[in-house]
Amino acid sequence: MKPKIAFFDFTGCEGCQLEVLNFETELVDLLNLVDIVNFREAMTERSDDYDIAFIDGAISTESDIARIKAIRDQAKILVTIGSCSSLGGVNCLKNFYPMKEVLKIVYGKDAKYYNTIPARPVSAVVPVDYSLPQCPVNRFEFINLTKALLLGKKPERPNYPVCVECKLAENGCVFDKGGTCLGPVTRAGCGAICITNGRHCWGCRGLVDEPNINSEKEILKEHGLTVEDMLKKFRIYDGWLEVSK
Amino acid sequence: MVTQLTPKASLYLPRLAELTRVEPLAQKEKVFEFRLSDGKELGHKPGQFVEISLFGIGEAPISISSSPTKKGSFELAIRATGNVTNALHKLDKGATVGIRGPFGNGFPIDKFKNKDVLIVAGGIGLFPLRSLINYIRDNRADFGNLTVLFGCRAPVERLFCNELCTWGEYTDMEFLETVDTCDESWTGNVGVITTLFPKITFDPSNTYAVVVGPPIMYRFVIAECVKKGIPEDQIILSLERRMKCGVGKCGHCQINNVYVCQEGPVFTYAELKKLKEAV
Amino acid sequence: MQNKIISKQDLVSFVNNLIKEKAAEEIVGVKASDGKYAFGELANASELCLDYDVTLLPPKKYFLPQKETVLKFKLGAKPSVEPVADAKSIIIIGVHPYDIKAIELCDAVYTSTNPDPNYLLKRNKATIIGVDCLNPNPKAFCPSLGTAIVESGFDLMLTDIGDSYVVAVGTGNGDKLLNKYAKTKAATDSELAQRDNQRRQALGKYKVSLNMPSSEVPGLLEASWDSPVFKEKSETCLSCGSCVMVCPTCVCFDVQDDIALTLDKGERYRQWDACMLVDFAKVATGENFRDDKEKRFRHRMYRKGMYLITRYEKPGCVGCGRCALACLAQIASPAETFNLLKEAS
Ligand SMILES: Cc1cc2nc3c(=O)[nH]c(=O)nc-3n(C[C@H](O)[C@H](O)[C@H](O)COP(=O)(O)OP(=O)(O)OC[C@H]3O[C@@H](n4cnc5c(N)ncnc54)[C@H](O)[C@@H]3O)c2cc1C
Ligand code: SF4
Ligand code: SF4
Ligand code: SF4
Ligand code: SF4
Ligand code: SF4
Ligand code: FES
Repeated sequence: MKPKIAFFDFTGCEGCQLEVLNFETELVDLLNLVDIVNFREAMTERSDDYDIAFIDGAISTESDIARIKAIRDQAKILVTIGSCSSLGGVNCLKNFYPMKEVLKIVYGKDAKYYNTIPARPVSAVVPVDYSLPQCPVNRFEFINLTKALLLGKKPERPNYPVCVECKLAENGCVFDKGGTCLGPVTRAGCGAICITNGRHCWGCRGLVDEPNINSEKEILKEHGLTVEDMLKKFRIYDGWLEVSK
Repeated sequence: MVTQLTPKASLYLPRLAELTRVEPLAQKEKVFEFRLSDGKELGHKPGQFVEISLFGIGEAPISISSSPTKKGSFELAIRATGNVTNALHKLDKGATVGIRGPFGNGFPIDKFKNKDVLIVAGGIGLFPLRSLINYIRDNRADFGNLTVLFGCRAPVERLFCNELCTWGEYTDMEFLETVDTCDESWTGNVGVITTLFPKITFDPSNTYAVVVGPPIMYRFVIAECVKKGIPEDQIILSLERRMKCGVGKCGHCQINNVYVCQEGPVFTYAELKKLKEAV
Repeated sequence: MQNKIISKQDLVSFVNNLIKEKAAEEIVGVKASDGKYAFGELANASELCLDYDVTLLPPKKYFLPQKETVLKFKLGAKPSVEPVADAKSIIIIGVHPYDIKAIELCDAVYTSTNPDPNYLLKRNKATIIGVDCLNPNPKAFCPSLGTAIVESGFDLMLTDIGDSYVVAVGTGNGDKLLNKYAKTKAATDSELAQRDNQRRQALGKYKVSLNMPSSEVPGLLEASWDSPVFKEKSETCLSCGSCVMVCPTCVCFDVQDDIALTLDKGERYRQWDACMLVDFAKVATGENFRDDKEKRFRHRMYRKGMYLITRYEKPGCVGCGRCALACLAQIASPAETFNLLKEAS
């Protein structure tokens, strides 16, 4: 029996689902191993019978909470894909503004018709078995996790920072070019793609298990960032961590 | 210029082996019997280990639990703790695995000749020691007195129960065991393994103590052996470290300047005392 | 050793000849890269930078690639497995003396006991054309370790003397390459004197040095195990691994299996791994034998200053300064730690 997998999206851009779909060659092989029973972007028919639920998007309304609880009850394994569902993601930026203001900024005059609660990662509402933060989700990591689950192997994620992969890719360091970078505290696994593509790391994969945040802050300060700038930098993806402390 | 060696292509290439028998030992432990597909003997010494591969999952270092005197096949006793070991536990007879090795130095059996041997096994520390015990029994005339102490946490965690019984019955060896805790059904000794020491007598200067168990056990048992007067270079231990290659390359098994997969896993206490990171 | 002279013009032709005539399957050299320098494939001699300070990664990557497949296997009822080791012939142009010393250490590690098939195959197919380092980077301390100038370990060694290079011929292979692809003449005594002068001047440009003879370092470390220096220095360590990823004498790796999505075949690969990373010494039971940054930092210092030397009788650090340049916390230089230990002793 092929395991049934389902995809559900919450507040996010659905970039993660598109990213998984982008995996054309692998998708064919994947479909030999699993049945996809719910995939809004790809399928019209849906079923509520599934073993593994992949969630993207953050939880940010009361109805989201009820929905994610129902999914958790049904799924044997629940996996968050992408930064929003795994970390709260960019959605958590709104947590630093009063809720009413957020509604006003987003919906303007219509704000009074919407309810919103502080955005939070799925794990703040229901237990999550595995999470694959990255914005958008890393297709290779998604495939690897699926393979591991099929093989009965514990899906491994690197517990070292992006700097390792950045060095393996033989990039020059962003700090040497006058920029700043969250690579030293961010969990690797993306191959340091942003730096390789000429940008810096903004931490979309979340922190490593034992990040030396103080040292990173010290380094950012030395490279000209004020405390305010720094907080902004850390809030982009780890905002939920900060407010939940 | 590099030496024009023709390296053995087999450094990382496992030999295939067939699983010929599996038996449960305890809740998370099973013993597996393998036969190399090329028909050769493994050719190991007690205390050596192999790297066992499950292709697609990975490799793990496992001590050889059978004595070299057992021909035609060898046994690995394995506790399910992670990816490779869990996957091994799901295998049935007839499955194929990869085997590299034997690796490591093994117990210094030549030094044990004509000496008394005191074996202290804690939990799955019995796995490598079983090879030594059976080897000594199969070459009984070469060695002096043989005493085996075995301790585990509870009666359900006893391993190789049938063999433990026969060891207790043999007259040419002494076997004592204990459990840390138990219910009424257990009539044997209760208490940590060092509580067995007062029950045995030995001539310390003529005795080699061979101790394998969890790190915490080492401290107490070593202290006991030293107190009894066994010279430090006659206290033998086997260490566990993370291992990837088994051949002195990957660096994972280092303790200070020592590569456990090369110079170990068996060390004398005299050697280990010099290593700051060891015990 | 035979010494020749090649004009700068002729060196360009030499390199272009190597490329055009495919003197080896791969011709690589030092090129500008991402604001720094890196070894990479040469399409034309004009890309070659021989006056560089240091490359991002050492040339070790050609013998021990960042990631390398070692086995291929098929699964199913009758599984099979075969070793994978391939190598192209390669000419590496522009290797600094400290990197040559580092390659000698890697050779010792990978070819002494249990010769490594993957490493050896690649190593044996490599030609090394060195160049003297006349513009050391600000963190290098090669002279303190005797790695600033080498007399062996290369096929050819170039020294810039203005309009031309002195070429020391280290091997018959190097000699053959010159004869076949280059226009050279014999070096005169005055040209050799110029070379010595260039080297001497370069020695004066190093900004970092050990405050003791390097032979004293192992003994110093032996006596410093409990020194507070390790804790103090490692307080800001990010466990980011930059220092060990860029180091030419780091030789450690991890091994993993990768399986195809069809679940019927796969490969086993190895990838650089290092002792500064948190999980390096962690075992399945959860125990981590170097569980904090102080222990990992100390282990690396002992590797660089003592363990590798006693084990392989070769310097475990060649003073290239890459670790210090890469370390954002500015704590990675072995010279700095050794000097602090010396002051405290
Ligand atoms: C010399 C030696 C002899 C051993 N003998 C036995 C034995 O007879 N029976 C037994 O049950 N266990 C033994 N072990 C422990 C056994 O190797 C580990 O339990 C096993 O590696 C766990 O691998 P895994 O893939 O199941 O776990 P995971 O946690 O999934 O491990 C992943 C990887 O980490 C490494 N690793 C993790 N833990 C260890 C460890 N403890 N030692 C070395 N590498 C590790 C392995 O390379 C493994 O591939 C021995 C260990 C050593 C070093
Ligand atoms: S660019 Fe960023 S990730 Fe790369 S080494 Fe520098 S700090 Fe680390
Ligand atoms: S480099 Fe940083 S921001 Fe970019 S994908 Fe990786 S973790 Fe995310
Ligand atoms: S430790 Fe640092 S200075 Fe020494 S060889 Fe390695 S990178 Fe170079
Ligand atoms: S310093 Fe660490 S990573 Fe480098 S070779 Fe030594 S043990 Fe390996
Ligand atoms: S010493 Fe520096 S480069 Fe090395 S792991 Fe620590 S912070 Fe990173
Ligand atoms: S296990 Fe790789 S060096 Fe010992």
